[in-house]
Amino acid sequence: MNKRRLFVLILSVVLAVPALAGCGNNKTTADENETVKTETSKTVSQAAESDKIKITFLNGFTGGDGEFMRKITDGFNASQSKYEVVESQEKDHLTQFKANGSDLVVIPGSSLYTYEEDGMVQELSSVYKEAGVAIDDFIPAAQDIVNMNDGLYAFPLDIHPLTMFYNKELVPEAPKTFEDLVDINTKLQAENTDIYVMAIPGSGLVEYYYMGLAAQNGIDIVNDGYCNFATDEFADTLMKWHDMIFVDKLSPANLGLDAEFTSFAKTADDITTQAAIALTGPWYYSAAKEIYGDNLGIASIPTIGEENATYGGSHTIAVSSQVTDEEKLAGIAAFFNYLYDPENLLNWADSGQTPVHQETLEIIKANPEKYPLPAANAEAVETAKTGPKVYNSNEQLSYISNNTFGRIVSEENLAREELMTELEKATEIARQIAQEQ
Amino acid sequence: MKKEKRFSILFFMPFMVCFILFWLIPFVYGCYMSVNKVSLTKGNVGFVGLSNYLALFNEASMYASEFIEALKNTVLFVIISVPLLVITAFILALIIDNLPDKLKGFFRTIYFMSYAVSVTAVSAIFLWLFNGNGGFINNIIAKPISWLESQPYAWIVLAIVTLWWTVGYNMILFINGLNSIDGALYEAASVDGANFLTRLRYITLPGLKNVMTYVTLMSIISSFNLYGQSSLITKGGPSQSTRSLIMVIYDTILQKNNLGVGSAMSIVMGIIVMAFALCQQYLAKEKKDLMEVNGSEKP
Amino acid sequence: MKSHKKKLRNMVIVIIASIIAYLFLIPLLYMIFTSFKSLSESISSSELLPNLWTLENYFSIFADTTTSPIIRWLLNTAIVTGVGTLLVVIVDSLAAYALARLQLPGKRKILLIIVWVMTIPGIVTVFPSFYLFKNLNMINTFIPLVVPYTANAMGVYLIYNFLIDFPKSLEEAAMVDGASLFRIYREIVIPCIKPVILTLAFITFLSIYNDYLWPSLVVSINQMKTMTVGIASLVLGSNFVNPGLMMASTVFAVLPALILFLLLNKYIVREDIHVGIK
Repeated sequence: MNKRRLFVLILSVVLAVPALAGCGNNKTTADENETVKTETSKTVSQAAESDKIKITFLNGFTGGDGEFMRKITDGFNASQSKYEVVESQEKDHLTQFKANGSDLVVIPGSSLYTYEEDGMVQELSSVYKEAGVAIDDFIPAAQDIVNMNDGLYAFPLDIHPLTMFYNKELVPEAPKTFEDLVDINTKLQAENTDIYVMAIPGSGLVEYYYMGLAAQNGIDIVNDGYCNFATDEFADTLMKWHDMIFVDKLSPANLGLDAEFTSFAKTADDITTQAAIALTGPWYYSAAKEIYGDNLGIASIPTIGEENATYGGSHTIAVSSQVTDEEKLAGIAAFFNYLYDPENLLNWADSGQTPVHQETLEIIKANPEKYPLPAANAEAVETAKTGPKVYNSNEQLSYISNNTFGRIVSEENLAREELMTELEKATEIARQIAQEQ
Repeated sequence: MKKEKRFSILFFMPFMVCFILFWLIPFVYGCYMSVNKVSLTKGNVGFVGLSNYLALFNEASMYASEFIEALKNTVLFVIISVPLLVITAFILALIIDNLPDKLKGFFRTIYFMSYAVSVTAVSAIFLWLFNGNGGFINNIIAKPISWLESQPYAWIVLAIVTLWWTVGYNMILFINGLNSIDGALYEAASVDGANFLTRLRYITLPGLKNVMTYVTLMSIISSFNLYGQSSLITKGGPSQSTRSLIMVIYDTILQKNNLGVGSAMSIVMGIIVMAFALCQQYLAKEKKDLMEVNGSEKP
Repeated sequence: MKSHKKKLRNMVIVIIASIIAYLFLIPLLYMIFTSFKSLSESISSSELLPNLWTLENYFSIFADTTTSPIIRWLLNTAIVTGVGTLLVVIVDSLAAYALARLQLPGKRKILLIIVWVMTIPGIVTVFPSFYLFKNLNMINTFIPLVVPYTANAMGVYLIYNFLIDFPKSLEEAAMVDGASLFRIYREIVIPCIKPVILTLAFITFLSIYNDYLWPSLVVSINQMKTMTVGIASLVLGSNFVNPGLMMASTVFAVLPALILFLLLNKYIVREDIHVGIK
């Protein structure tokens, strides 16, 4: 091809580029607010036209949960003609929120404090009022999550605690105490050395494990805005999991990511180690149901520590601090009013999640056949502990989750002093993270 | 000559414009961010001079311990993977070259196909293959190994995954390189009675000098940029021993919410990689000069 | 005697190549077979083949096209990869030619800068670029999805290395023979450049196609997503991934790349010039 032809080709491509700039939807929320503002300042009849007030709703409910939230959103959109909630389900929705923003956003309860301190979400007492929702409509554990700095910063949606699935064939009755676990294990191991009562993972859900046991032991690790792990009580809590593997031999050692469920899911004819119960997240329910069918038992986790308690994550819905338009806030209030009607919120229970709205929870407890998983968790969530209310709590916990717990499950001769050194290192990191506030 | 010079600038112009607009300007902006306290949520809070950089080398800072740890891990990975990637690609290219013509395309496709799979899928596949509890590999070998939970097995898995996923590209480059060696040289050599190894040493390898250098350089750069496999398969484990530099940088920006330190880390990483690259180029040039002195220069 | 030896040698090589091919294929076979497994089987089983073959994963992908407009995503991706690859190939080959053949002033310095730029990790420019496009109000348009890939110096370096290896003597001989510049380009340069141009095109296509972070930042509207980003939000659950569903989506996502490669396969490697200069 000679140089002239090359020029023509380049020229045509260069001309195509601005044409591309025209394509695509580059309306920003600012533009839309502008359009909406001018529209609603006109007569009321014009608001009834096709230009509904759009409210963007960003969440991370990809996978199975998504369709149930969508049912709620679609239901709200169909029930009135003034507002339209545009739902977006993304994998990394918090990054999206930080980068491109959104009117409504689902924030995990443990991160809410961080977003509040960063000024990303706004105080919602007036929205609560307009929505006809009172903070006392929620269980105390949930109230605790959204109540901070003398204000309400989100609407609590659900708590998903560490749950126990058990194989009814191997374990006819759900274990309730540590001794129960030991008894079951002895019986199982006598018949087949490849079957253990449980499988303790080395990574993945480990935060629920150590924080869950800490909750059962009544330990509060928060100290002056950051997590202090370097205490004897916390070290004991970690060592308990260690001893369960190496001393009580309740679980194989050195297991990996999500092993608590994959070992439970293994069918016996594989050359694998199998676990009779799984302490795992409720999201594995559909897989567990498919594998075990009627042999699947669900219950709250056994009491390994001093009292019965569990730990879990939670979902809350917050409003971006960028939303200032009164009309839009009214629409948001209308959405929450719709959401917290038990008839609508029960859709969320259909997904297996446990809503923390008291009225809805009562209905769930009364209908365990219809809502097996939420009903099994209903008691547990009332006393469930959720993430420590510190700045960037996920990062503060990450050293323990990613480094220390792995050593707990793999090093038989882990000395107490070594563990303490690790905990001190983790505490120092947590302190520095809190300082970034 | 003058006309050619003018044409050369014209030809280079489109790339230069794109480069300035979409790399240089963001890069300068990135440097600017590295001397400020910036985050995705709070924006630019203020100028902090070199403190982001100093935090990387200050033992007391959490950023330093993560950065140095990750640097060690990444350099280890580069040392393991680059020779593996280059030599295996070369061997595969030789095999293909020596296949009967009809089969060349078929095998080429099989070895290169894996390159098209996304890193998420590659990781899911190998997570299953190397699962410590009854995974495919563990069911075949005699004694099950905790591949992903202990070293050196975790590195071995990462090396195998990277090899499977990316060796096809290097192989194609080597194949092209092999094909561009003048056949007359081989004919002359076989007339002289040279065997396979002699031909390899005196004709093939010198003829592949440039390709070899290019492939090695590219492999060094891409191994330094290890991210997908280590974050999805080993998740940086066991005990953060496979945590790579890019993982730490992403973490710093997205989890620790510090875009300033993250940018500083990337720039320091760039300097380190560049040092490696320059070393490699220097060594390659040295070797090339040596070979030319020995008279195996191309005619 | 000699041909017998050759046949034996060929057979040995084919056997070795086949064993290696089998090793390469195992992961791909897992990918394909798992896409036909149900959720429970894909999590619990370590068998390669499914006990119960099911198409449910494939149906899931296409189930809800209002929230997951696969066709629109495919279209977006086709535009983005098509235009992006074309731009990159044109821009890079022009620049490489200027460096390799035409006397570009400052050539040595430019080459050094190019190598240096390649060593800087891409993450340095991701967020600054994002902010720049955001301030220009170009989020959710095609521009940021297509254009930034042209700044990648790797392609220039690749073609440059290819060109300098390619002996000028053929061109010069043809010139001495009185062939016009046009004929030289068409009959000598293009057949020799084609393999590397197509290799670059294919590699660029793959890197644009499989890119996740950048498109996920610059697009926030469902209709503008690319295949990779769209499928990720469809398949990657918030807490765990359904392996069967993920493999089905990968099989689906890999098809375009595979088809492209099968088409280009012959042209990606150049024919042997064992002919030489006669």
